[in-house]
Amino acid sequence: MANRRGLLVSFVRSKWYIYASGVSFTLAANLFQSYYPKVLGRFTDQLERHGLTQSAVFDASMALLVIGLAYGVLGGIGQFHIMYVGRLFEKYARKRLFKHFTKLGEQFYSKNGVGKLLSYVMNDVTTVRESISMGVNQTANAAMLIVSAIVMMVISDIPLYLILVCISPLIAIPWIVVKLGPVIRSRSHTVQESLGKMTESAEEQFGGIRVTKKFAVEDIMNDRFGGSVDRIKDNQLKLVRVSSFFQALIPFLGALSLIITLAYGGYLTLAGTLSLGNFVALTLYVRMMVNPLQAIGNVINTIQRSRASLERVNDLLNKEPEIVEHETAVDVDWSHAPLKVNHLSFAYPGATKEALKDVTLTLEPGKTLGIIGKTGSGKTTLVKLLLRVFDTPPGKINIGGTSLDELTLESLRSGIAYVPQDGFLFSTTIRDNIAFFRRSSELSLVQKAAEQAKIHDSIMTFPDGFDTKLGERGVTLSGGQRQRTALARGMLMNAPILILDDSVSAVDAVTETAIIETIRKERRGKTTILIAHRISALKHADEIIVMDEGRIVQRGTHDSLLAQNGIYAMLHAIQEEGSSVG
Amino acid sequence: MAKTMDNLKTKADGGAKADPTLPKTPNHNRSAYKGLYNYAKPHRMTFLAVFGCIILAITADLMQPYLVKIAIDDHLTKGDANANMLFLIAGIYLLLSVGGFLFTYLQNNLLQKAGQSIVAAIRKQLFRHITKQSMSYFDRVPSGSLITHVSSDTETINQFFSQVLLSVLRDGLTLVFIIVLMFQLDVRLTLYCLILLPIIALNAIAFRSYMRKTYQMARTNLSRLVAFVAENLAGMHIIQVFHQEKEQQKQFSERNQTYFRSNLREIRTNVLFNRSFDMLGNLSVAFVTWLGGNAVLGESIPFGVLFAFITYIRQFFQPINTITQQWNTLLSASVSMNRIWSIFDTVPEVQDKPDAKLDLSAVKGQIDFNGVKFGYADGQPVIHRLDLHVRPGEMIGIVGTTGAGKSSLISLLCRFYDVKEGSVTIDGIDVRDMRQEKLHRLIGLVQQEPYLYSGSIVDNVRLFDDSVSREEVVEACRLVGADALIAGMKDGYETMLSERGSGLSAGERQLISFARIIVFKPRILILDEATANLDSHSEQLIQRALAVVSEGRTTLVIAHRLSTIMGADRIIVMRLGEIVEEGTHRELLAAGGYYDELYRHSQGNADGKHRPGRADGAAIEAG
Repeated sequence: MANRRGLLVSFVRSKWYIYASGVSFTLAANLFQSYYPKVLGRFTDQLERHGLTQSAVFDASMALLVIGLAYGVLGGIGQFHIMYVGRLFEKYARKRLFKHFTKLGEQFYSKNGVGKLLSYVMNDVTTVRESISMGVNQTANAAMLIVSAIVMMVISDIPLYLILVCISPLIAIPWIVVKLGPVIRSRSHTVQESLGKMTESAEEQFGGIRVTKKFAVEDIMNDRFGGSVDRIKDNQLKLVRVSSFFQALIPFLGALSLIITLAYGGYLTLAGTLSLGNFVALTLYVRMMVNPLQAIGNVINTIQRSRASLERVNDLLNKEPEIVEHETAVDVDWSHAPLKVNHLSFAYPGATKEALKDVTLTLEPGKTLGIIGKTGSGKTTLVKLLLRVFDTPPGKINIGGTSLDELTLESLRSGIAYVPQDGFLFSTTIRDNIAFFRRSSELSLVQKAAEQAKIHDSIMTFPDGFDTKLGERGVTLSGGQRQRTALARGMLMNAPILILDDSVSAVDAVTETAIIETIRKERRGKTTILIAHRISALKHADEIIVMDEGRIVQRGTHDSLLAQNGIYAMLHAIQEEGSSVG
Repeated sequence: MAKTMDNLKTKADGGAKADPTLPKTPNHNRSAYKGLYNYAKPHRMTFLAVFGCIILAITADLMQPYLVKIAIDDHLTKGDANANMLFLIAGIYLLLSVGGFLFTYLQNNLLQKAGQSIVAAIRKQLFRHITKQSMSYFDRVPSGSLITHVSSDTETINQFFSQVLLSVLRDGLTLVFIIVLMFQLDVRLTLYCLILLPIIALNAIAFRSYMRKTYQMARTNLSRLVAFVAENLAGMHIIQVFHQEKEQQKQFSERNQTYFRSNLREIRTNVLFNRSFDMLGNLSVAFVTWLGGNAVLGESIPFGVLFAFITYIRQFFQPINTITQQWNTLLSASVSMNRIWSIFDTVPEVQDKPDAKLDLSAVKGQIDFNGVKFGYADGQPVIHRLDLHVRPGEMIGIVGTTGAGKSSLISLLCRFYDVKEGSVTIDGIDVRDMRQEKLHRLIGLVQQEPYLYSGSIVDNVRLFDDSVSREEVVEACRLVGADALIAGMKDGYETMLSERGSGLSAGERQLISFARIIVFKPRILILDEATANLDSHSEQLIQRALAVVSEGRTTLVIAHRLSTIMGADRIIVMRLGEIVEEGTHRELLAAGGYYDELYRHSQGNADGKHRPGRADGAAIEAG
């Protein structure tokens, strides 16, 4: 793995020959190009000396034609090489990033939003790509053009001091680009930011349009939005003031150079020190140098910007995955795998308060465990630890006698089916969503899982049935339907352990009863963990634990818990009687 | 010729805003441009000034080779050693450059000022127009596309002004000037050069459609790639828990490879196009040298003319190149304009009557649904014939299956939609006779997912309305029982909230929306599944707040959690657009109908009685 080495270094090392060939082609092209003014200069001299003949005219134009064609073809090949290698880098970098993303854990994702991570994959990678393809291309091009222009001028007997005087205004170009570049960049950054702010504002206003309209505060919201619009305009005009100054300045410096050439060079021509041909060539060379000089300045700026991007990407790639499989990890023996939790306490990284305190439980294979408790009582935390989303000290959680961290991730995670509350689904076919664990599953298995989750008939009402793509052509599922599809996804695994994390909360009471009934039947002989707010969902469990502030405060069967005077009985009373109304 | 590569780069960036998936509707083009013209009209003096600046800048720019020509032909070749004339020419050249510099600067600033003002005006107007639309519009149009219209589409118009318009004016004029100057120099040589024009045009046409295709393909593949990554990042926990990292990596690589391939195709086309342009340019220089050289030889033109000609012919290609590159931007600008103006053409479905009346202060809160018939689409009635009369201050609970028409009932009362038959009245006044703004102030609606704006708690409660004092907000929060919660927060009432990551639980968010009700004092209160997704503890908090808020208000409560509505004065059970059961909790249980069944299921006592045919969610669905 090239993990420790930078992304770019390892890439360039493996693909340097493409760069080399691209640069060579570009250099060859520019070599041809630099002969161009020389041909015209010689042509002029011949004319002046009255040595111009029909065949000389033909030769000159043929020479120009060959130069033009060679430059076009060679330069084109070089350009393609360099751009190709840039895109190759992009592909390589994105692949590495994505692979790395699949290894990072919950702790990382809770700190980094999707938008931020996307900008690594899109913006940062693109910025680096631009600087390494455009940058290399332009630097090679510009350096070559400038050097060959100067060399050609010297060879043509144009005096060196004249060359230096003529190009003196041009030398300021890279300096100006480097000076103004950051100003332009920071201002255009401000413009982008204010555009982002407006988009955010629009997003918020349209997201809350129902509230806005219901309370009839449209005018206030219009003003709020209008403010963000005006800021864009102000920032944009600020940017234009610098950028248009810059844009006008470069050609102006080019013109200054030409004026000096015209006055000084012309004067020398009149004085007889310079041939007319060399004068013509000089003006052409000076013109030829304006663009490469500007390009060099641009390259400096691009590289500055992309260095920051490259660092960000490298930092990200160097982040260690939180959950790592031990080298000596073993598979779980699922034939007899009791689940044991020993005096487990846990605090989230960075949090001072413990989310779980001294939790102990044993779950024999084939039994059903119910967990109840209010939001934030530690139910979901317990589940995350069982799934090894976060690491626990060795021996605190054991499956089949082996500590969780000694198990292979594959064995652990294919042994536990998990159904989350939010019912996250991917925008692919319903079939692929249900068969997420094993995409090659037969349709009959998928259908069976859908029936168990009471979603089969709803799916059949869609035009393409199980092949309906979610999120396309307006096909969306309601909260309840999403939850039941996610349930089918978990059921399909037919795993030794099934965890339902409040997975039927958006399903109505009648359907919920039916689902719980099916689960009891289908999961006979297998281990099931049910988390719910409603007692009705878990009253049949072999053991029910009641959690409060990270502790198990009560445990027992439904009947034994009702007999105690505790939270469980109180919850039962609330849910049974609705006694708190009024 | 590094310029070519610069151009290539700007092309890739500049066109990036175009969306290839958009339908093209050229028929609206004219009205859209006409609409744009109306926005541009107030700035016509600025545009005129820009035009003037452009002409001056171009003149200054193009006169330069002409001056060199004069220097060569009239002075240097003749060998008359008048250096003063040479310096004079250099002086004029300097003046022209300074002029060119100034006018270019001025022209850019003026144009941007006009363009930005126009875009800002369009943005504000568009936003205003969208917020004026009826609720049905927002049900139909996803907010994502509205955001795109307001931000990206308008930004494309900005590009139209700053890039397309500028390029067409500047480069178009440059081209014309160059041709004029060339004619001035030598008619015959110019005519030969003009043979090039059709070749250039053919070349551009041949490449253009192919380039657009490759460009759009690359864009489409890119957005697929982005969407894939975004979704996988959001669902990474699922991928890991199901141990599908390898499979997803494989799928990513496929998309990555597809995008790479479309990129290569795009690069190849672009390089070819640019090179063909370059080659044409070089070819024509060689051609001019040959023709012109012979002409010089035959003494029909002086050498200076040939020199200027060669310079011009090289300059000739630059504006053409730039204009061609604007094509993508122009295309996406047209599409954006059409979309924006089609929104401007959308008239809100629910309209205020011109003589709408209602005295807000005197409303008591009597609600009557009189023989209401309603459907979202013709021929598919959602509510068949419904009569419901609610006394002022009464609390009504509504239960029923999905599609029973519960939410439609609310939409009709708020007049998000209009009834097909019958009427909905408040205090005997038809809601269609009220001004919508007044009606909306009259009714407070609390929904399942309360929306939080990015702003302080105070602003979230009073919805940024400064006429509501901070004290009123604090009092409202106290009444709904949110004061203890808010006091415990970092900055108290000034704590910043936002839709994402506010740190509030669902129940706490709901309390904020109850406080809004207290502040805005609607006479009628509607709860639409406001207690779904809450645990028992939060639900109790909400129940308590509801008791406070519903005091003295006519209240309608929709819930699938029966505990929320058991205490209502009256409960109605809806099914397929009709009221099938009506009465108090006790009466309905005694009647032993659907309500009774629902109640027993929610208690978990339905074993043995449950009928599998009914259980599938296609028939009965929460929310």
